[in-house]
Amino acid sequence: MSFANEPLLELRRAWVRDGLEDALRALDAELPLHVPVLIDGATRDAPDLASTDPGAPERVVAAATRATPTEVDDAVRAASAAQAAWAARRAAARAAVLVRAAGLLRERRARLAALAVRECAKPWAEADADVCEAIDFLTYYAADAVRLERGEELVQLPGERNELRYRPRGVVAVVAPWNFPFAIALGMTAAALATGNAVVLKPAEQSPGCAFELVRALHEAGVPAGALALLPGEGDVGAALVAHAGVHVIAFTGSSAVGQQILRVAADVRPGQRHLKHVVAEMGGKNCVLVDADADLDDAVPAVAYSAFGFAGQKCSACSRVLVHEAIAAPFAERLRGLLDTLVVDQATRFGVDVPPLIERSAQERIADALAQAAAVGATVARGAAGPDEGWFAAPAIVTDVAADAPLLSTELFGPVVTVEPVPDLQAALARVEALPFGLTGGIFSRNPARVRELTWKLPVGNVYVNRHITGATVARQPFGGTRLSGGGPKAGGPGYLHHFVESVVVSENTTRHGLVV
Amino acid sequence: MSASVVADPPAPAGAPPPPEQEIRALGRSLDAAFPSAARRPVHAAERALAAPLSDRPELRAALFRLVDVAPACRTPTELGEHLDAFLAELPAHERAAGLALHLTGGRGGHALSGRAAAVAVARMARFFIAGEDPAAALPALARLWSGGVASSLDLLGEATVTAAEADRYAARCDDALVQLAQAVRAWPARPLLERDFAGRLPRANLSVKVTALTPLIREAAPEIGREDAARRLRPLLRRARELGAHLHVDMESIASRELIVGLVLGLLAEDEFRDGPDAGIVLQAYLTDSDELLREVLEWAARTERATPLTVRLVKGAYWDHELVEARQRGWTPPVHATKADTDRSFERLTRALLAARPAVRVAIASHNLRSIAHAIVCNRRSGRPDTDLELQVLRGLGDDLHHALAAHRLRVRSYCPVGDLVSGMAYLVRRLLENTANDSFLAARADGADLDRLLRAP
Ligand SMILES: Cc1cc2nc3c(=O)[nH]c(=O)nc-3n(C[C@H](O)[C@H](O)[C@H](O)COP(=O)(O)OP(=O)(O)OC[C@H]3O[C@@H](n4cnc5c(N)ncnc54)[C@H](O)[C@@H]3O)c2cc1C
Repeated sequence: MSFANEPLLELRRAWVRDGLEDALRALDAELPLHVPVLIDGATRDAPDLASTDPGAPERVVAAATRATPTEVDDAVRAASAAQAAWAARRAAARAAVLVRAAGLLRERRARLAALAVRECAKPWAEADADVCEAIDFLTYYAADAVRLERGEELVQLPGERNELRYRPRGVVAVVAPWNFPFAIALGMTAAALATGNAVVLKPAEQSPGCAFELVRALHEAGVPAGALALLPGEGDVGAALVAHAGVHVIAFTGSSAVGQQILRVAADVRPGQRHLKHVVAEMGGKNCVLVDADADLDDAVPAVAYSAFGFAGQKCSACSRVLVHEAIAAPFAERLRGLLDTLVVDQATRFGVDVPPLIERSAQERIADALAQAAAVGATVARGAAGPDEGWFAAPAIVTDVAADAPLLSTELFGPVVTVEPVPDLQAALARVEALPFGLTGGIFSRNPARVRELTWKLPVGNVYVNRHITGATVARQPFGGTRLSGGGPKAGGPGYLHHFVESVVVSENTTRHGLVV
Repeated sequence: MSASVVADPPAPAGAPPPPEQEIRALGRSLDAAFPSAARRPVHAAERALAAPLSDRPELRAALFRLVDVAPACRTPTELGEHLDAFLAELPAHERAAGLALHLTGGRGGHALSGRAAAVAVARMARFFIAGEDPAAALPALARLWSGGVASSLDLLGEATVTAAEADRYAARCDDALVQLAQAVRAWPARPLLERDFAGRLPRANLSVKVTALTPLIREAAPEIGREDAARRLRPLLRRARELGAHLHVDMESIASRELIVGLVLGLLAEDEFRDGPDAGIVLQAYLTDSDELLREVLEWAARTERATPLTVRLVKGAYWDHELVEARQRGWTPPVHATKADTDRSFERLTRALLAARPAVRVAIASHNLRSIAHAIVCNRRSGRPDTDLELQVLRGLGDDLHHALAAHRLRVRSYCPVGDLVSGMAYLVRRLLENTANDSFLAARADGADLDRLLRAP
């Protein structure tokens, strides 16, 4: 398959940076954006939910309208009604719409990146990568759906014709997180639309502005009004949506607690419901990087730091534990500690920033509590720069001497915090990873190909990275998804993902008449 | 009224290309002055394999991965295990040849094969690295000087990821300057190496890397690293001025170029450094926009009053693979030329432009390619200037035969001499070995017996 990723912006060129700053100024002049409830082409704009700039909480980025329970119901009904016509188009026609939407996003790349900088405090490079990934999902799933429409080859014997075709499941509820406000929301939405489903999108309450831009582009590109609804709101809106009897697939990315709750709710068959709900859930992780005695610390130290502290650790793929061979644990720890002091902790708008503010006050408090608890039971906490006064900043932290049973080693923190543990060898490290309930990403630094091969097959995680950082999965190159409590195994941006949005139908026809094969 | 179109100013121009036969004649004459058949550190391996490594990609990869990991192995057994693992990765048809790298002759087990490999790697390293530290390298530099070859010292080190590492590197540089300046006083007079059109040329010459002077390289924010590196480079410039030494700032990957150019040109333009030290930067011919950088440098030189002209070292560029891989992975137009011939042509064009820009700059042509060098020398001669108005530079190890030949022709040549231990020198060593066995490399082609006349042809 010839697929090319959307090129990232070349931020090392001054004129590229200048262009982004212009886009940010233009966006700022427009704020706050109004994000209505949008159902079947009709909008209701009565703002009662604000998203704010994590670096300047006084600044309202989007003034959104919370969807009501009635609107949830309306949206699902409208989607059901519109779905058949959307599904009746050939996959190629739907793909053309998605590719057109990709073109619109491409034209708006600078503005969209600026919006993610403001609404989610994504540093420029990460914000741009998020937009690119969204574009990638559109073009990748568009092409993959065309292929899927052809069905699968079956064994054919004389006198019968066997066909396996896929058809859409119906209405897909997309419940999206804020940390990749474009890529993840759009990835799930694009997969559903490409395969002929209708979508009701419930974006994170922290990033309705980004979601609205996506929905607008999709409608402008030709997605029918009824086939895509936007329901801004908080957890209650998402809960009502997943519980709705008219929903066939729930595509969710977010915390493990919410993901498990969704699985439970989805198992209940509601009155009037004549199907089983299918859940695609991508949840948290406690991702470990294993550093062997022969690792090149020149590479391993910066890669671990980037994996742990980039975007303030707010990626589900981020590194939160390092298991380092005791033979090099001391120099590793010393260099990582030294690197901590060099991290640029500042507003996301500043080029070159390493650690931007966290998404919200409660995240800041969560990090502070976790570190205080760890310190109270004897862990050693080293902190980097605290950052500006304004904004939800958390100084990046390295924690050592952590008790084996400390919650810090097993719960996902979603912040700029990494623990470092010496291990006698990588077998011991592997055992610690196996003891975890999660299985999203993992990293290995080793220059012994035999050891690398062995560990890559044994690590119980969905995405293993060798001698590189463990974040930044790219569509079609690193299809992404976890195992265990991190997710059900589908790989976003990879072959097979679309299967979760379709069901297969097999038609077997008798082609004989009067004993003759006709 | 017609719209006014602001065109880019033309690339800095030089004299037209010189006659080919002069270049070829000089190239042949230099080649004839090589003291021996080219010696190369990978020769032993290639002899054992009975084929140049450039034709055996898997073996080449295995060898380099072994060299790369060698200093990180604490015991011979560890290294032996790695050796086995690399051999196991080889495709079946290469496995037998790969065993030739198993320098023990078989039965010794991991420890023995590991020990042999460690010795082999250390021997390769000594070929390129002048000593563990400046003190250990000084006798070699003195010998070079006596033989008519100047030098530039380069301190190898691990990557700088912390402020303490940047401070340590700066301290090592300072210490090296002091030791060098002290040592060179005892060196005998070598007029050929000590004076050009602009005056006295320092004997003590140190090359420094900006990415080692700061842990704050952020490609999207050159100003962050520039400020931090300036805090450490400024004292070094002061020290060099006080000691009458030359400080040369190397160029690295394009991610740090804006930072480096801004840093160096900015500091040297400060009043404090108007009277010194002698200093230089590097221009990489493989970059497609190298003409623009040259123009920026020449404009800077024209408006900046300094006691001695800036030295511009012209190189082809050492990060070609890296730039290409990075650009491909991120979907960017590669910043480097796509073919070796493009780079070689760019090198010759920049050579002529630089030579024509004198006396605003001093010119150092750094290459091991006889064609590139002969072209520069002929151009210089045709400009009517003496040979001493052009400096030629080579890398220790790769350019040893060449520097003998150049010195024998009474040309002014400088050998770039890295110092450091094996661990810190490994990245440098691997880069040189890769370059030395790359398909496109002049040295590899020459050592593999390529026809000299073909190699001397215009690119
Ligand atoms: C004294 C000295 C100092 C140096 N300092 C620096 C420095 O500060 N920064 C730096 O980057 N390098 C530096 N170099 C290294 C230099 O850039 C070259 O890598 C090296 O000298 C090999 O080039 P050559 O002319 O000797 O050999 P050649 O064999 O003629 O050329 C090899 C070079 O051609 C280019 N090339 C190879 N294949 C291709 C291709 N397919 N397409 C396009 N181009 C290609 C590459 O640049 C490669 O290094 C220095 C070299 C010397 C001698």
